[in-house]
Amino acid sequence: MAIAQLLVEVLALGAAYALVALGFVLILNATGAVNFAQGDLVMAGGFGAVLLADRLHVSGLVLLPALLAGMAVLGVVVALAAYMPLRRRPPEAVFISTIAVGIILQNVANRLFGAEPVATPPLFGAGRVRFAGVDASVQSVAIIGVAALLIAALYTLFTHTQFGRRLRATAYDRDMAMAIGIPVDRMIAGTFAVAAALAGAAGLLLSNTFFVTPSSGSDYMIKAYIAVVIGGWGSIRGAVAGALLIAAFEVLYPSLPLLVPALLWMPSSDAVFSQTTSTIVLDVAVLLILVVRPQGLFGEAARQRP
Amino acid sequence: MQGDRRLGSPKKGLTNAHHAGGLGYLFGMAFATLVLFGGLPVAHTAEPAPDVPVLVPITGFLAAEGSSQRNGALLALQNPPAGVHPRFAVTDTGTSPEGAVNALERALSDGEVTVVVASMLGTQMLAMLPIAQAQKVPLITMSGTADITRKGNPYIFRFFPADSVVKGAQVKYAIEAHHIQKPAVIYQTTAYGQSGHAEILTALAAAGIKPVYEDALDVGVKDMRPVIAKAVASGADSLLLQLHGGPTALFLKAVAAMDVHLPIVAGSGLSQPATVALLEPAELKGVCGETGSSPISGETPAARDFLARYRDAFHTDPDGFALGQYDATMMALEAVAKGATSAEAVTKALATGSYQGVAMTYKSNGHGDMAHSAVIVCFDGTSRVPAVVRHYDFPISP
Amino acid sequence: MRRWVAHGGVALPLAVAACAYGVFVLPHASDYALRVLTVAGVYALLALGYGFIFGQAGALSLAQGTFMGVGAYVSGILAVRYGVAFDAALPVSVGLPVLLALLVAIPVLRLQTHYFALATLLIGQVVLLVATQWESVTGGANGIGGVPPLSLLGHPIEGRLPQLLLVWALVAAGAVLAWRIVSGRLGDAFALTRLHPVAARAIGIDTGSLRLAAFLLSAGFAGLAGSLYVHAIGVLSPDVLGFPVMITCLTIAVVGSRLRVAGAIAGAVVIIELPEWARFLRDDYLLAFGCILLLVVVALPGGLVETAERLLGWVGSRAVPSVMAGRVPAIFAPADEARMAGTRPAMTEGVGPFIAARAGDADLLTLVGVSRRFGGVLALDDVALTVRSGAVLGLIGPNGSGKTTLLNVVTGIFPADAGRVRLGGRDIAGRAPHAIARLGVARTFQTAALAAELSALDNVAVARGAARLGVGSALRAGRRDRAVVRGEAMALLERMGAGAYAAEAAGTLPPGIARLVEIARALATEPRLLLLDEPAAGLNETEQADLGRRLRGIAEDGVGLLVIEHNMPFLVPLADRMVCLDQGRVIAEGTPAAVQSDPRVIEAYLGTPPP
Repeated sequence: MAIAQLLVEVLALGAAYALVALGFVLILNATGAVNFAQGDLVMAGGFGAVLLADRLHVSGLVLLPALLAGMAVLGVVVALAAYMPLRRRPPEAVFISTIAVGIILQNVANRLFGAEPVATPPLFGAGRVRFAGVDASVQSVAIIGVAALLIAALYTLFTHTQFGRRLRATAYDRDMAMAIGIPVDRMIAGTFAVAAALAGAAGLLLSNTFFVTPSSGSDYMIKAYIAVVIGGWGSIRGAVAGALLIAAFEVLYPSLPLLVPALLWMPSSDAVFSQTTSTIVLDVAVLLILVVRPQGLFGEAARQRP
Repeated sequence: MQGDRRLGSPKKGLTNAHHAGGLGYLFGMAFATLVLFGGLPVAHTAEPAPDVPVLVPITGFLAAEGSSQRNGALLALQNPPAGVHPRFAVTDTGTSPEGAVNALERALSDGEVTVVVASMLGTQMLAMLPIAQAQKVPLITMSGTADITRKGNPYIFRFFPADSVVKGAQVKYAIEAHHIQKPAVIYQTTAYGQSGHAEILTALAAAGIKPVYEDALDVGVKDMRPVIAKAVASGADSLLLQLHGGPTALFLKAVAAMDVHLPIVAGSGLSQPATVALLEPAELKGVCGETGSSPISGETPAARDFLARYRDAFHTDPDGFALGQYDATMMALEAVAKGATSAEAVTKALATGSYQGVAMTYKSNGHGDMAHSAVIVCFDGTSRVPAVVRHYDFPISP
Repeated sequence: MRRWVAHGGVALPLAVAACAYGVFVLPHASDYALRVLTVAGVYALLALGYGFIFGQAGALSLAQGTFMGVGAYVSGILAVRYGVAFDAALPVSVGLPVLLALLVAIPVLRLQTHYFALATLLIGQVVLLVATQWESVTGGANGIGGVPPLSLLGHPIEGRLPQLLLVWALVAAGAVLAWRIVSGRLGDAFALTRLHPVAARAIGIDTGSLRLAAFLLSAGFAGLAGSLYVHAIGVLSPDVLGFPVMITCLTIAVVGSRLRVAGAIAGAVVIIELPEWARFLRDDYLLAFGCILLLVVVALPGGLVETAERLLGWVGSRAVPSVMAGRVPAIFAPADEARMAGTRPAMTEGVGPFIAARAGDADLLTLVGVSRRFGGVLALDDVALTVRSGAVLGLIGPNGSGKTTLLNVVTGIFPADAGRVRLGGRDIAGRAPHAIARLGVARTFQTAALAAELSALDNVAVARGAARLGVGSALRAGRRDRAVVRGEAMALLERMGAGAYAAEAAGTLPPGIARLVEIARALATEPRLLLLDEPAAGLNETEQADLGRRLRGIAEDGVGLLVIEHNMPFLVPLADRMVCLDQGRVIAEGTPAAVQSDPRVIEAYLGTPPP
């Protein structure tokens, strides 16, 4: 396992996580509330892609636009059902209403698709590529490309369109946005649409390699939550950085004994570098970050919201 | 494109039935629900109408296995022996003992229960056992957990070979076929994984073998490569798996991608059709696994008949759990047909009788272990249908 | 009788219904019905505990299920491996979750909403992983079977009905305990802490230890619930530590009413019995569960119990209980000025002891070289000023000149970056806000920070002896204590001229009156130093004059006053001296007349000469 190959995997996993975390942080900024169904939207995107692939028989890349559109609609539905009626209530109310949305999505998926894992189609195809001596799967490289493209598109949306500027204004200060005549409710619905589309894209990208089941959402939810916390609450760049960091930890920690062979002969190295220990170490590390640096790892820029 | 072949071809019948043929599936489910709701109308009051609640996990991490169990039971209940008119209802137990206990007591409070199709999750069985004993109702299950037939409870009947049997077969085959000396054992951190892991270690120890590498994986683990690489780095000469279906597929995919060529003998997760459907035939080349039976391999006319009927009813392929639960339910219904109409009588018939099922002959060892055979299936790299390469019949011993 | 209704809300009809159910239905119920009701009791205890941290303290803890699981594991392992009976194990099975909560609380409890939620979620995940991995002790993912049934003093409780009765007896005891804790003044303190933590600290409430008390109580109840659960189910499995248990608990709290003791019980019965009532849904039950949760959150904001209270018209009697007949001495009942006039002497007499008159006009508060920086902005720059006992210091300055920052530095909300803050010769810089409040510093806020759902009276009453308020005192004193302080609070409201509003919910008060109530609350802490942030805003001229006289009276009792105000006609006659701040610096100090005519002040603040 060459380092370069590992890094490709880190980037691929991190890029997909970043899409989930971006959706999470966009909703957080626009509404001040945690969308606990963000992971289940990833799951919904995975199953949505399976459904589309079954009907259309095309590669993942081709059905991506249709998936994004469908997920955006789902996002608006979630906003209407679980956020809009709770606008004037404390953020916990949305936390709980989105937990309910998650339960509904999981059980609808279970009803429609069954509990067995299924795979989404690959973006281009299977197989592996070699460049500059690095051997990587086509899918991993494609994930990096597509995620980068989506993030760039998001950036353009935010900086170069009227819609994006209004979204940002809404996220920055809702009351002020309302005062200067921005249709805040529509902007928030738009944010849910964008967030759900990003989650859906992540579902398509991740579920080819890792499959999707009705219960696979919760894991992504926790990853996104953690990414946003270590990246700095409300920071968009921080969310991407946090997602990459988590992916790096997830891939590299269990591989440490391979990268540093001396560790392999350490007593009970199997247990210390097992996947389960890796989860415990990550959780404890995040707890420490929360306690020591509640503003996140990346500087002061992040706004801290209660 | 490469893309849809992955999802399509050999699995085509299955996938299409499941998704594109979703309407038929839904219709089937609706029909099943309808039947379940009222129970079947009892045509002749003189003929026995046993009450057979089906209490299995349909949601949660065992949902795939539980659904197989449900389907197997339903196939038997919908096609009962002549003259028997079973009434039945499916209840989802989830994965908590509380869910199982509630489901059982609810079924018991509804009327005279004859026999219960009970969850394959060991912890749920442990919770249901005392109630079954107090109410004198037999439970027929697919749970492999060793403990459930070691409690001296006369109302438990296990129709899937116990973990000691299937894990014994897994290790025995690995030794016979691959002469393993330094296996790596990879298992799941669930009840299924931990129970199987303990039995694998016992079987290995009996042969004087000690694993060189062990790792316990959470069901959420995505990247299998570090585990595989560490196993290889530890000098393992083989990989013994005890993973659920999805993780088994992830693992085998990673092994293929890494060009690792160690012999692999997997657990029953491998033989679940949904697992196989996730993999290319090439990725399965040379991989073997244990299971109670492999209906999809169609070894006997009876198995081929079962396979056809099962596909017809559920538009998916059966696995060993489905067939085992079918046989179990049929054994109980046959007993009813022969006059054992009460729970007590069915218990006695299950405890003392012998039954030639589709998969094997079932007979209690005195503790309620009914299945004493296991098979090893292997894939040849060209098809998703495995061949049965070994039958292991274990002596019927307490 | 009316008192009962008033205090308990829907508790009374619920209790009656429960008794009727117990007498008429239970003896004929099936084992299944009894088991479900027993499990509902277990969840009721869990939710009662959750009411402390999620309801009273308002913190979204996702570790309640974890504490229940730890209680279950401790009790189950002790029973199976060491033969320790349920009741004998209770000190450990309740104690260990509380200990875990204590350990966790040290780093985590001060975190804000969403951080706290994530932290508690991660702690639950770690505990679950440890329980599944530590196979030799916990039985791993398989758990441990054969947990014996509940027992009491060596007698196993075998039958379903006795088990149910034991569980529900504990629920009743837990409910009474919870009710005693939250229905007294501690409940008011929790309300203020939840809604305005800064204001709570400013009257001397140690909000941190209040939150801690809530967290520990919730863990204790959860431990008891877990212990009952494992003996009732008979099997120990990691499922009890899983997130679904936490979601069930959260759902119960939300559906029932998170702030009501009766809500926890009603919620538990409804949610745990729901699968039985919704049998026709079969496999779609979980889907329906999600929909119901969503529907309740959206459509019934307060949950079932609060909605029932509203429908039955009892909301008024709960929100403003102070004027219910027979609860408060008649003398304190609201009345018109004429009637009040007759009682005034007695009341003034009663007020006397609350104001900590201290002889002499010593320097009370002294600031020397105080600076405070926010990022690149120097909000306070080398500020020096003095407030004397029995005197009023007016603090003026344009918007953003650092007046409120100065108040925040004195009251400990922000520490000063440099300089000394001395109160009566003692350095108070760097102390916690509640500690400074306990030294005799009280304040009001630019926007009145009252607990909207409490009456004006209770908003004042909560500050009486707030510093000594704790779970122990709440249990000892109970409601009697609340009645006493309400009398004292009424006197203070009268002193500020807001007595007529005593019974009104603070959220509905006109802004000017809310300020008066806030001053009364500040006085209730018996301050030596009173800091007022724009007290006259929102009052008309007559009311301003009236307020000025009342503040003068407070100063005459020996209290030192620091008053921030833009309103010169109000401040100039009131203040003995004035200080003007501009861009964080003191630019003028002296008599009101001198400061008012200082050209620097006019330039910086007034723009034009004063009228």
